[in-house]
Amino acid sequence: MTRTLRAEWTKWRTLRANPWLLFGALAGTIALGVTVAWALPLPTCEPAATCREDTVRLALSGVYLGQIAVILLATLAVTNEYATRMVQTTLAASPKRLAVYTARATVVTVLTLVAGAIGVLGALALSRPVLVGHGFPPLSLADGPTVRAAVGTTLYFGLLALFCVGVGTAVRHTPAALGVMFGALYLVPMLAQFLTNQVWQKWVIKLAPMTAGLAIQATERLHGMPIGPWPGLGVFALYAVGAFVLGAVLFAVRDA
Amino acid sequence: MTTTQTRPAARRAMTANDGFGAQLRAEWTKWRSVRTTKWCAFLAVALMVLFSMLWALGSSTNANEAGSQRVDLFRFTHQPLAGDGEIVAHLLSQENTGPLAKAGVLIKASTEPGSPYAAMLVTPGHGARFQANWSTDIAGTPGPAPRWLKLTRTGGSVVGAESADGVTWREVGRADLDGLPPTVEAGLFSTSPSTGMRTIRHGGNTSTAPEYRLSVATFDSVALTPATPAPAGAWTSEDIGQTITQVDDTEVHGSGTQSGGTFTLAGVGDIANLGFSGDNDIVRDSLGGILIGLIPIVCLGVLFMTSEYAKGTIRTTFTASPRRVRVLAAKAVVLAGTTFVIGLVAALICLFGSRPLQRERGFRAPAYPDPSLADGPVLRAVIGAGLFLAALALLSLGVGAILRRAAGALTLVMAMVVLPGVLGGLMPLSLEAWLGRLTPLAGMAIMQTRDRFDYVVAPWTGLAIIGGYALVALTIAAWRIRRRDV
Repeated sequence: MTRTLRAEWTKWRTLRANPWLLFGALAGTIALGVTVAWALPLPTCEPAATCREDTVRLALSGVYLGQIAVILLATLAVTNEYATRMVQTTLAASPKRLAVYTARATVVTVLTLVAGAIGVLGALALSRPVLVGHGFPPLSLADGPTVRAAVGTTLYFGLLALFCVGVGTAVRHTPAALGVMFGALYLVPMLAQFLTNQVWQKWVIKLAPMTAGLAIQATERLHGMPIGPWPGLGVFALYAVGAFVLGAVLFAVRDA
Repeated sequence: MTTTQTRPAARRAMTANDGFGAQLRAEWTKWRSVRTTKWCAFLAVALMVLFSMLWALGSSTNANEAGSQRVDLFRFTHQPLAGDGEIVAHLLSQENTGPLAKAGVLIKASTEPGSPYAAMLVTPGHGARFQANWSTDIAGTPGPAPRWLKLTRTGGSVVGAESADGVTWREVGRADLDGLPPTVEAGLFSTSPSTGMRTIRHGGNTSTAPEYRLSVATFDSVALTPATPAPAGAWTSEDIGQTITQVDDTEVHGSGTQSGGTFTLAGVGDIANLGFSGDNDIVRDSLGGILIGLIPIVCLGVLFMTSEYAKGTIRTTFTASPRRVRVLAAKAVVLAGTTFVIGLVAALICLFGSRPLQRERGFRAPAYPDPSLADGPVLRAVIGAGLFLAALALLSLGVGAILRRAAGALTLVMAMVVLPGVLGGLMPLSLEAWLGRLTPLAGMAIMQTRDRFDYVVAPWTGLAIIGGYALVALTIAAWRIRRRDV
């Protein structure tokens, strides 16, 4: 297993684009988060804390940009091997397929978790002075909901990597896998605007992977949300683990 | 420039094999013989239809039932009127908060909302009118305030009259009100319907609600005959109907004051039958599945170029036809033509396929008549679905030709399509509207068939925007493809 892990790690780090994608994930998360915090209108309440503005969620909204790099990174880690037929070499060298699959998922997920954690902490740290400048109460990691949002968003990144590895392995085709991921994450929630039935609209927000998963970022007005923070991340985890298991099964039983 | 000098025989051979027609045929052959293409085309139609059906199932309305719903919200300064009698007032001024603001004299069975009434009123946009029980509406003379207004009750019937000077009266209309009690409430009223929708955003929370503005009306020479003896005969001023709450959670309360013989009333609401108020754009909604259907189209556009680079067939292509820009043009024509047809077919299936489901869920005449292709905006929406997908495919083709890699090109196009929508929700509203206008998804405006408060782009403008993106991408692609090695 260690050797398989090392092989996957070597393959990963020797592709020139990969470190850049990882950097893109954390840089996108930080840059957009700070921009959104900066673009936030000044508080209209006095004192500003009574606005109950969800500044944590806004500071962490860079995920919407940063995760694009994660999608690319985690999907390409799988589908590139099919495009270049490298997968046959890989399996000839290490015939234990589940070990290969797990090792690959581990490398991608751990790296994404690290980049995600840096991105999340960076976004919070850099948004803090911006928000304080606007007159909002400072973000603090001593605050329970803030910690939940930070930890949850990092977990979201890791789960997303698993999700992409699973989908990529099941589909084995770069454009198809990327299409599935973009559609599932971004486009399904956008469809909600075409629904006039409030009940259905709520269900879309509850069940669409991205809206459910990122419910973990909410720190204010939790009662008004269609789905709570942890249940939301749970729904996302179900998608991720489901895709991961599907990928494992298909990788194990299918001809490469 | 020796390369352009070809011998006559060779030139003849070139024109025979290398004309644009032959080029088109070559690209068409490539298009139809690749398995991925068929998959993408099938998926685009299937996903669009599937999601349109799902969304038709998930939408419902009570617009037709609500058509009978009556609004009864206004400021009322009144006192009881026992038996037969009349109320006269001189409406001095009325604030123009909208063409349908109403002010005038009113006789109502009670202060209970929904009780029978007759009103002689003036609107800023539609002149004087006699209205009763949400069904009678008789026009008097046009033009805004000032006006003398009079209502006369005789038994169960009320007559409305107007006058320019308070001396010569002109009867406007008469109504028989069933169930009018012996003692009714008579007086002055002022009201003003919503002036439009207003959206506010605090951080990520957005809310939209109708915006109301109080309309102030002033009266003098108010006379009730026979006068009711005090204390019951004193004027009472109150808001009738439920309190209106604005989008920013502030409540709107009317006011009524009296100084000397002048009465000042400020009110919001309406006394009206809203009719069929459905404002959903059912044609656009039934084509909403295009949001998912666009994924395979983007894949198709990107792959039509990048797979040639991935498989190395681009060398063969450019050897066979060295005019590279013409290859790109032929690809663009084939792709635009095919994706247009795909979009058109899918739109027709969506529109008519989801219609029975919509009808079952309340979207039926009279509030929502069946859309017909003879109707200009509907035809524009259906053809527009094809044009939108064609423009998106061309944008994808251009980006694919610039980047030469499927993963990068696909991600870039998808990010251009989806990110503005997601980011818009986090930005201040003015910025969001601009994002909505300036991104490729603005092209979806071509599928709008009516005016709605949340539409930010006009149909053809939106299509021009995505067309502009496609044009820019293809121009850069043409330039890059000429300049660089394959």
